[in-house]
Amino acid sequence: VSCISPQRVMLRTVASSSLAPSVKAKLIRAGFCSVADLQELRPGQLSKEVGVSQEEAAEILKTLHTDALPVNDGGLVARGVTALELLQREQAQGSIVTFCSALDSALGGGVPVGKTMEVCGPPGVGKTQLCIQLAVDVQIPMCFGGLKGQSLYIDTEGSFMVERVVDVARAAVEHCSLLAEDAGNRRKAMKEFTVEKILSCLFLMRCHDYVKLLAQSYLLPSFLSEHPEVRLIVIDSIAYPFRRDFEDFSHRTRLLNALAQHLNQLATQHNVAIVLTNQMTTKVWNGQSKMVPALGESWGHAAAQRLILYWEGARSSCSMTVTDKVRERERERENRECSEPRPNKWLVELEESFCPHLTCVLLYRLAVLSKSSRPDGGHCCHTRSLWSAHTPTP
Amino acid sequence: MNWERLNLSPRITAALQKGNLNSAKELLGLSVLELQALTHLSTSDVQQLRRAAARLYCGAAPVRTALDVRNSEPGEKLSLACPLLDALLHGGLPLCGITELSGESGAGKTQLGLQLCLSVQYPAEWGGLGSGAVYICTEDAFPIKRLRQLITQQPRLRPDIPQALVHSIRFSDNIYIEHTADLGALQSCIAQRVPVLLSRGLVRLVVIDSIAALFRSEFQADESMERARHLLALSGTLHHLSHSHKVPVFCINQVTDVIDSPNPGRCEFGLVESRILPALGLAWANQVMVRLMLWRLEGTVSDGDQSCAPRRLEVVFAPHLPQASCLCGVWLEGVRGIPDVVREDPGASTLTEALCRPVERDPEQKDGSMVS
Repeated sequence: VSCISPQRVMLRTVASSSLAPSVKAKLIRAGFCSVADLQELRPGQLSKEVGVSQEEAAEILKTLHTDALPVNDGGLVARGVTALELLQREQAQGSIVTFCSALDSALGGGVPVGKTMEVCGPPGVGKTQLCIQLAVDVQIPMCFGGLKGQSLYIDTEGSFMVERVVDVARAAVEHCSLLAEDAGNRRKAMKEFTVEKILSCLFLMRCHDYVKLLAQSYLLPSFLSEHPEVRLIVIDSIAYPFRRDFEDFSHRTRLLNALAQHLNQLATQHNVAIVLTNQMTTKVWNGQSKMVPALGESWGHAAAQRLILYWEGARSSCSMTVTDKVRERERERENRECSEPRPNKWLVELEESFCPHLTCVLLYRLAVLSKSSRPDGGHCCHTRSLWSAHTPTP
Repeated sequence: MNWERLNLSPRITAALQKGNLNSAKELLGLSVLELQALTHLSTSDVQQLRRAAARLYCGAAPVRTALDVRNSEPGEKLSLACPLLDALLHGGLPLCGITELSGESGAGKTQLGLQLCLSVQYPAEWGGLGSGAVYICTEDAFPIKRLRQLITQQPRLRPDIPQALVHSIRFSDNIYIEHTADLGALQSCIAQRVPVLLSRGLVRLVVIDSIAALFRSEFQADESMERARHLLALSGTLHHLSHSHKVPVFCINQVTDVIDSPNPGRCEFGLVESRILPALGLAWANQVMVRLMLWRLEGTVSDGDQSCAPRRLEVVFAPHLPQASCLCGVWLEGVRGIPDVVREDPGASTLTEALCRPVERDPEQKDGSMVS
């Protein structure tokens, strides 16, 4: 048995180690309180002292040794980093643009890589659309400000339609090609950025129950090591499998909390953005009903950022004629463009190029409830890029 | 369950047997602490065990890409038997998932349901799935007279299909009709009888007319938790049927009146100024993949010697469709879309306006609607 590295185990107590509870009890009863006490022992000695077999003793020492190995957490725990270093690291990781400047500025440049984000909203508000859009956007070449990564889509509701991905991918390729113009490296990048390429870099897993979802989540670390270019994992939705098949809600909460912790760990260790979608439910409180995200209070702490999508005066009733709708949208667009801050040049270019192709525009109110980097606030924005692919180009 | 297959150390296998864990599914549903309590293994052992069980449970199939999926599942859809309606839905109903159609009574929901039962029987090249349909009635008796009428009018509805083919299909032999008067009967029907029909290949469409009727009659206003639980169970079964057999599930739903002012607890699906919303609330809406609404409009449209009230079929939400709508009418031969030519004719602007406005009716006359 090799020696346990001293500086890492000095202060660790036996109770906090990853040994089985019964073994811990035996060790403590025999007087071993800190891991350091066990450092110099051989299996034979340990077996005599504690009253376990030779093999068990060897196993205990081996477990303590694995415990002491440095965890791959990007060196956060091993030596500690300064706030400046952390900031630089976060900036270097970049973020996934959503093609919607208001949402991007609300999120501080896009969906952050290395963090988890939860998207909640009532059915039909556009959660799946946002996820598909992100799964395509993460693949935008570097010279356009993208990440050139791959994406993994875990579909639990059966609502993933390849047909829609093709639409969104085609729109993304079209708009990037408008930006490519004369710049040589962009033209070159466009040759590789095709609809086929986008589809082949989008991995898909289908899980129809929570056991399958949990099983896949345990296999994610090996999947991510095999596919190191994956920068985004989408789980659409986390609520669907966990809102059925459960009689015992405390069991559900335990599983969900463990899953949330596991996903947060994956996001930091493998440098991926994890986007989870969640359904809404009605909560009655003091005789007033309110729509809140599903899966209970404790799940609210699961993701680093939580985005809730609502409708705001979305569509007018179906009696309004088409021309009126167009005029109204025109007005809204003018208002918005006067007041909106312009965060980033390439994004603005993209935004403008979307305008002529616009058919179906919804107004969402995006309330960004974020724990990490942004203040709370409401933002108005269009999801035109999401739908622009449906537009007949004039 | 033979744990030896996992290639784990004998120590872990023995612990599993002692802990009385019999399947990978059971093991994966437990948290680390629960597993430790059962097996007395260390955390790292438990994690290793869990990974092995996960690999066993998920199988060895490599992860597919969207490109593989596109090449292996060529976007099959079930046609609505009208090119205009098919264009609205990008080809028809998707084969996986629940499609819901809601609307007031008299809007034409059942008509569309019947039409799908016939359309599904054509071979794939004519937009069908080459198999029969099961039609589950929970409200009225099955409209058998109308079905016979539709069958005799098929050549008129589908002039593009060779007449010999239309006449060769024995439509009424391939429609299985179930009447379920209560929730228990509906559950046992979709959990037992429908899977038999599906696995024998006799049926590739499930229509439920309507999903709301039983839930509205069997539960009191204060039993919403119980109602939601039953809804989830039912939709879970339907979801499973649809995905395991690749069959569209078409659910007809009623509507509910909006009587109060805007309410933060009510989900409106973007239908902000609408007087009516689909029934059964958020719990059901979360389970629906494609939501369609059918509105009956004012005025009349005529086609040859026939005339009928115009309808508007609207996509409320769907993962692959933009929000859009299309005018249609219910004719002798079935539901057909009305092309948008009226709008280009300057003299017909009033008609266009009339076509775009839903009928204003006294709410008390409405049947099948309930105060939300």
